[in-house]
Amino acid sequence: MLGAVICEQSGSAASKLCVKHMVTPVVLQAEVFPYPEVGNEEAEEIQQLVAPVEKFFAEEVDSARIDQEAKIPPETMNGLKELGLFGMQVPEEYGGLGLSNTVYARLAEITALDGSIAVTLAAHQAIGLKGILIAGNEAQKNKYLPKLASGEHIAAFCLTEPGSGSDAASIQTRATLSEDGTHYLINGSKIWISNGATADIMTVFARTEVVKDGVKADKISAFIVERAFGGVSSGKPEDKLGIRGSNTCEVAFDNVPVPVENVIGEVGGGFKVAMNILNSGRFSMGSSSAGMIKKLIELTSEYAATRKQFNRSLSEFGMIQEKFALMAVNAFVMESMAYLTAGMMDRPGLPDCSVEAAIVKIFSSEGGWICVSEALQVLGGLGYTKNYPFERYVRDCRILPIFEGTNEILRMYIALTGMQHAGKILTGKIKELKKGNIGVAFGMAGKRLKSAFGSSVDFGLTGKDGVVHPSLEESAKKFEQNVAFFGTTVESLLYRYGKSMVDEQLILKRVADVLINLYAMTAVLSRSSRSISIGARNHDHEVLLANTFCSDAYFKNNYLMTQLQKHSPENNDANIKKIAKEVLENRAYICSHPLERTF
Amino acid sequence: MKCVRCLLQLQSLRLLGQSTRCSAQYSSLLPSASSQPGLPHSTQQQVSRSFHSSSACSKSRPVPTDFLKDQDGKKDKSLVVQKDLFEEVAKDIKTKATFNKVVEVFTKRDVRRRGHVEFIYAALKKMPEFGVERDITVYNKLLDVFPKEVFVPRNFIQRMFNHYPRQQECGVQVLEQMENYGITPNVETKVLLVQIFGDRSHPMKKYQRIMYWFPRFKHTNPFPVPRQLPEDPVDLARFSLTRIANDLDAKVTVYQVPFTDVSESGEDITCPHIVGIQSPSQMELLAQHNPSRPVFVEGPFPLWLRNTCVYYYVLRADPTPEEKKEEPYDPERCFDYPLQLDIDLERDLGDDEEFDVEDLDEGPVYAMCMSGQGDQATLNQWISGLQQTNPILGQVPTLFRLDSGPRDLQGPAETESGPRHQTDTETHNQSREEVQDEEAEEPRRTQGMKQ
Repeated sequence: MLGAVICEQSGSAASKLCVKHMVTPVVLQAEVFPYPEVGNEEAEEIQQLVAPVEKFFAEEVDSARIDQEAKIPPETMNGLKELGLFGMQVPEEYGGLGLSNTVYARLAEITALDGSIAVTLAAHQAIGLKGILIAGNEAQKNKYLPKLASGEHIAAFCLTEPGSGSDAASIQTRATLSEDGTHYLINGSKIWISNGATADIMTVFARTEVVKDGVKADKISAFIVERAFGGVSSGKPEDKLGIRGSNTCEVAFDNVPVPVENVIGEVGGGFKVAMNILNSGRFSMGSSSAGMIKKLIELTSEYAATRKQFNRSLSEFGMIQEKFALMAVNAFVMESMAYLTAGMMDRPGLPDCSVEAAIVKIFSSEGGWICVSEALQVLGGLGYTKNYPFERYVRDCRILPIFEGTNEILRMYIALTGMQHAGKILTGKIKELKKGNIGVAFGMAGKRLKSAFGSSVDFGLTGKDGVVHPSLEESAKKFEQNVAFFGTTVESLLYRYGKSMVDEQLILKRVADVLINLYAMTAVLSRSSRSISIGARNHDHEVLLANTFCSDAYFKNNYLMTQLQKHSPENNDANIKKIAKEVLENRAYICSHPLERTF
Repeated sequence: MKCVRCLLQLQSLRLLGQSTRCSAQYSSLLPSASSQPGLPHSTQQQVSRSFHSSSACSKSRPVPTDFLKDQDGKKDKSLVVQKDLFEEVAKDIKTKATFNKVVEVFTKRDVRRRGHVEFIYAALKKMPEFGVERDITVYNKLLDVFPKEVFVPRNFIQRMFNHYPRQQECGVQVLEQMENYGITPNVETKVLLVQIFGDRSHPMKKYQRIMYWFPRFKHTNPFPVPRQLPEDPVDLARFSLTRIANDLDAKVTVYQVPFTDVSESGEDITCPHIVGIQSPSQMELLAQHNPSRPVFVEGPFPLWLRNTCVYYYVLRADPTPEEKKEEPYDPERCFDYPLQLDIDLERDLGDDEEFDVEDLDEGPVYAMCMSGQGDQATLNQWISGLQQTNPILGQVPTLFRLDSGPRDLQGPAETESGPRHQTDTETHNQSREEVQDEEAEEPRRTQGMKQ
């Protein structure tokens, strides 16, 4: 999908050849149009699953208590285990529920009602046991997965170290092969490990010496470490702002003997394992945030309808209405993106949706934060007290932009992956241009002139054989215009910066933001087209939400892309960098106080 | 006539609240003066006018001088005598109090303030001696010596020509000296100048110019040196080293505090202070140093802090001829995003905003230190102290390239036993200094004071 968006700029010929994600609107239709659906049996299965989980969360889970005591009570944990929530994506032959990504996302909507539980579950199965699931061999799966799926054993993912976040080169934990070659000894410490104190099985990444072509080199390897191996100790639980019921602590490994058969994948192949786990763990955050916002809308709308000021209920005030519209649009977009991505991941084969998952993660974590804060604002002072759950949601929500890859880093990932993709296709053309090939230059100038004189861009989304419903035609046109403009923008960025783009973070951020908006637009267009076509309940509301979001995103994109143009007065990057430099040089705010005098 | 003049003078003095002694002396004259009808003394202005004319008279007529001579006895009013006044009153103790006393003695001695210009010039010269050259109150007191209202021009002709040029020039000179010492005048100065010379006078213009520039220049130096440097050599070294290093991460280590010990043979042993500074990046550089190449301890290099000169030593190496080794790109470096783009396109020339900087081959400086003694033994102590945090120094040959240059200038007074150079203080001639940050000066408002 991303490829589609990026490549459309290059027009027809080149883009058709693009391999990665298939480019032209024709193929794009196959990727995101129509919106992915679940079969009837699966829909029924979802019904059966959702009801008890919802009931459990409504009746058994006391979020305020979990937050206050900073611990999930054992009876709640047992309830979760009985529901099978610890092995949602573990195949049925290993005792799990064997859910698809789509159903998993649906359940995440409910588990997200309590941040601590959601994080505990995610640390267990979205990253903790994922290594065994996607890269483990049959023996490892047979040995570990059944107990993990039942919740008898809890899993954790140990990658972060005091000196290493995203930087694999600074991982200090080391695994040394014993003399008899039967096991590795792991030494080192990992920090901020979710479930660190409770986990029995851990996926640990450590440095190993690998001999390749006769040269010794340090490579990262992934290990399955049981607490029972001995030598594993966990530190004091971190006292956190939110998700207080989830356990986060430091885990130290002191000469932990790990048998060689517990290496996940091959020795030295840990980097790929880590990347795959991280990339696949993110997509569910979209539905989680959507679930949370839907709940918040219910809670706040009741208050807004009953609270009266000046003989009018709060819901009659425009500024309050705006907040509800914002929450509804955000929930709608998140939902659309989350299930589109999940559906794409459920397609046969192993589709790489890591960029899409990153987009979903960024959009939902930031949108979630805004919505939670606005929901609290509706209640004003009441929302700020512990009598209402809003302050807890605000605190819990704050972790979303931070964990599973910070939004900053994910933006880099999105933008750079996109640029890399576009670069492959456009390099030849740009080189010709730089050489002064008049033909290419004229071709481009002609194209720009054409678009400047209002020739409409048409990727075939609308019209006779279009995939977008006519009610959304205007939004689809806006999307197409954005895509076309984005194409020329990317081209000029490549022309200007080439591979030195890596260091232009402010530019990459905007590229990522445009991509996020474009993907969100696609998702809502696709989803609401389907809803209209099949006559879903309240589909007119969906059309309204989709059109609202698209026109909003259209202007945002245009602004962002204007900023990306050369010598754009909207672009303050030089000043921003200078301000930051002056402040950081002094490590302080350096203006003199307004009350200071010089004479 | 005589007594009228006396009365007028008295009144003006009273108005200015200057003298008490005089009033006692002349009080006996009052009845006769006040009995004279039509005497224009009802307003200050009128008084001043009369006063002014009288002083003009006094130029042509010898009467007032005689009168004053009668009063004060046999005082010669030459420049030499003014200087003597300082020597006389403040024989031994030269402080602000005695300086003020001298000024007071002068103002009280003669109600006409005869010779005040000479006195002010002499006082200005003496100020550094008394250590009051940076004291705004003293300058104001000095300006207060000028008689008030006398030199204010009364009509356009006076205003057109240089009215009382000597006095005005003297006033300018006072401000000039303030300027040279970086003293910003305050509102009191302004009020005095207006009272003495009027609001369009040369001293007033000088004042305005100072007030225009000084506040603007107050913070031009991003690295201000405090007026009062720390007394303790360790503190001074700490201050100087952080100033040279200008790195917020750099850590100052005191390797040895100065102390005096008595050895077994009964001799005093003075152990000099050794204070060093090193930043984490310097430690990193040193750790990467090729152990087969020597490092050098070089110095002493001078550092001037206002009038004080201190010396420092550096630990450095020769520039490495080897090319910079760039770390090869490791695609498995970052878990989250590619650190490099695999695109065969360079940055466009139009977007290359880097300056072409010529690289100078200058060796890396690994650490700096200051010590009370610049001999090899002392500096060796520093190196061994450094070695604790930089183990590589154990393997690297360390060469001492010490220079005894600046020390020779100091003459034979210093012996080897004492600290060989702590601080060389030089008396500077009054060069124009930057506007100092006057913490002592009370901020006052000038708004509404414009006259």
